[in-house]
Amino acid sequence: MEQNLLEVRNLKKYFHTPAGLLHAVDDVSFSIPGGKTMGVVGESGCGKSTLGRSLLCLEPPTSGEILFRGKNIANLKKKEMKAIRPKIQMVFQDPYSSLNGRMTVRQLIAEPLLVSKLCRTRAEVDKKIDEIMDTVGLARRLDMAYPHELDGGRRQRIGIARALILEPEFVVCDEPVSALDVSIQAQILNLLMDLQESMGLTYLFITHDLSVVRHISNEIMVMYLGKCVEKAEAKEIFRNPVHPYTKALLGSIPIPSVESCHKKRELIQGEVTSPVNPKPGCRFAVRCPYASERCRQGDIPLKEVGRGHFVACHMAE
Amino acid sequence: MGKEILEVKNLTIQYRTDLETVYAVNGISFSLKEGETLGLVGETGAGKTTAALGIMGLLPERTAVIPKGEVKFDGKDLLKLSEQEMQKIRGSKMSMIFQDPMTALNPVLPVGKQIGEALYLHNEENLTNSQIEEKVEETLELVGIPKERKVEYPYQFSGGMRQRVVIAIALICNPGLLIADEPTTALDVTIQAQILTMICNLQRKYGTSVIMITHDLGVVAETCDKVAIMYAGEVVEYGTLRDIFTGDRHHPYTEGLFGSIPSLTGDSRRLHPIEGLMPDPTKKPEGCWFAPRCGKCTEKCKKQVPPVYEKDGHQIRCHLFDEQDTEEVQ
Repeated sequence: MEQNLLEVRNLKKYFHTPAGLLHAVDDVSFSIPGGKTMGVVGESGCGKSTLGRSLLCLEPPTSGEILFRGKNIANLKKKEMKAIRPKIQMVFQDPYSSLNGRMTVRQLIAEPLLVSKLCRTRAEVDKKIDEIMDTVGLARRLDMAYPHELDGGRRQRIGIARALILEPEFVVCDEPVSALDVSIQAQILNLLMDLQESMGLTYLFITHDLSVVRHISNEIMVMYLGKCVEKAEAKEIFRNPVHPYTKALLGSIPIPSVESCHKKRELIQGEVTSPVNPKPGCRFAVRCPYASERCRQGDIPLKEVGRGHFVACHMAE
Repeated sequence: MGKEILEVKNLTIQYRTDLETVYAVNGISFSLKEGETLGLVGETGAGKTTAALGIMGLLPERTAVIPKGEVKFDGKDLLKLSEQEMQKIRGSKMSMIFQDPMTALNPVLPVGKQIGEALYLHNEENLTNSQIEEKVEETLELVGIPKERKVEYPYQFSGGMRQRVVIAIALICNPGLLIADEPTTALDVTIQAQILTMICNLQRKYGTSVIMITHDLGVVAETCDKVAIMYAGEVVEYGTLRDIFTGDRHHPYTEGLFGSIPSLTGDSRRLHPIEGLMPDPTKKPEGCWFAPRCGKCTEKCKKQVPPVYEKDGHQIRCHLFDEQDTEEVQ
């Protein structure tokens, strides 16, 4: 049995809004073994980014435990958190707005080192920057350039360099490729997988793109309105989706091949409902074609339907 | 299929400023029959949107220049028409769905007013105000919005619903040609599937021709009859859906594009991206635009602009296809 690098138990994150209590992440539990990738998919507003940010305590969780190497890091004091931060890092979604436009590439990459005070001398910092620029594939001649001079792919490489320079063990990738063109997206995905292999990284990979998540993940968690509705090995979820939402999600992907075109698709009607003061029961019930009275009462726990395949649905019995 | 409704020949569009010239669209040609859907595929900066704006006559006046080319719509060359004549066509005979539903609508007008606007302006059948209102309600129902919501403002709608409003605006005059500029890029997949299905159903119902601009090859496979792959302002490959998605005769860029997509069924761990970046559109190369990124590049590619080679209607702009059985067109 491999040791889990990260274990999340009953994580909840609620926001107070004028309209009521917004359940962004509601009772989510999962674990990631070291060196593996957990993919989190869902539509906008399902709480996947909030989940990623809570893991780094950028949004302190309302309740629940986050065990990193067996130690609970939820609601640590600022100083204690700072000591752990270098081990858990994040790659942000938008390479256009997540970099300070007034800093050069070198300054941007050096910033995490200076903040964490891991390096003693200037020379050490310089050496590390040069190394990491080579690792992520940024030409060294660019080190005095400003972000606005670079294209999206290179900017995302800066974001990755900033996350990796502290030699973390766990990286949360929040839609790292969704702002990029397909040919650049493929370059970045390859880079992330190469780095995982060479540095032994563990990823939580957040995305709305199902083909990307299948490509990069070992395990996939599907979220809907703050709840985890299905969780299984990547191939299993694509071969044998059980939850009606997962089925609809998979059915909605346009597939780039002639054979599959013009086939009949199982569409779901309606749109994501509000996460503010949600009604009890299954949150997907409103849009679900199979919903019964039972689905609208009480919480639906995750049930194991196959080896490591968990589903929260009454249908799966 | 019916007769040709749109024929674009050698359309060239440049943006000129005092400092530089941007070669946005460099001699593209394609045609579209009634009821057909053409997919215009390419990455950011390939000139897809500029080409669409050129057809619609919506290019920025002060910088955009069309040095040559022809856009024949219903037998008329749109590039030779005056602005007034163009206004009669735009919105009634051809219309456009814009990319971002969040910014395409006027935030201070109720959506019903915005949908009716096109009909007020192109009121050829002399409809009375109440008839127009009726038509607005009908169109709203058509795109799947309850008609009671016509008095609401854009901020009260979600992204998918707003895109439906934009589609209603484009469709109210029953145009012959609809240009959809990345209509689903800003939307979630389940909503994207709903909107695409709707566009296809409406198209079948009214026999509208559609130009679907997208970077998503999956969307193309589901909706299009013909496909034009664009790179740096040129159509590098053009043919039927089957020509582009099957067979082994492809432009190296098309191959790269397909190699970049993670597969939903395959098992390969590594993607095969195209190395390098899009070329600077202000510097016209001596030879092929794609040469610096192309794995099969030869000396000839760097020196000579490749012509278009055609075989059974499948066109490829690449020196590699200078073979016996292909025919050079231009």
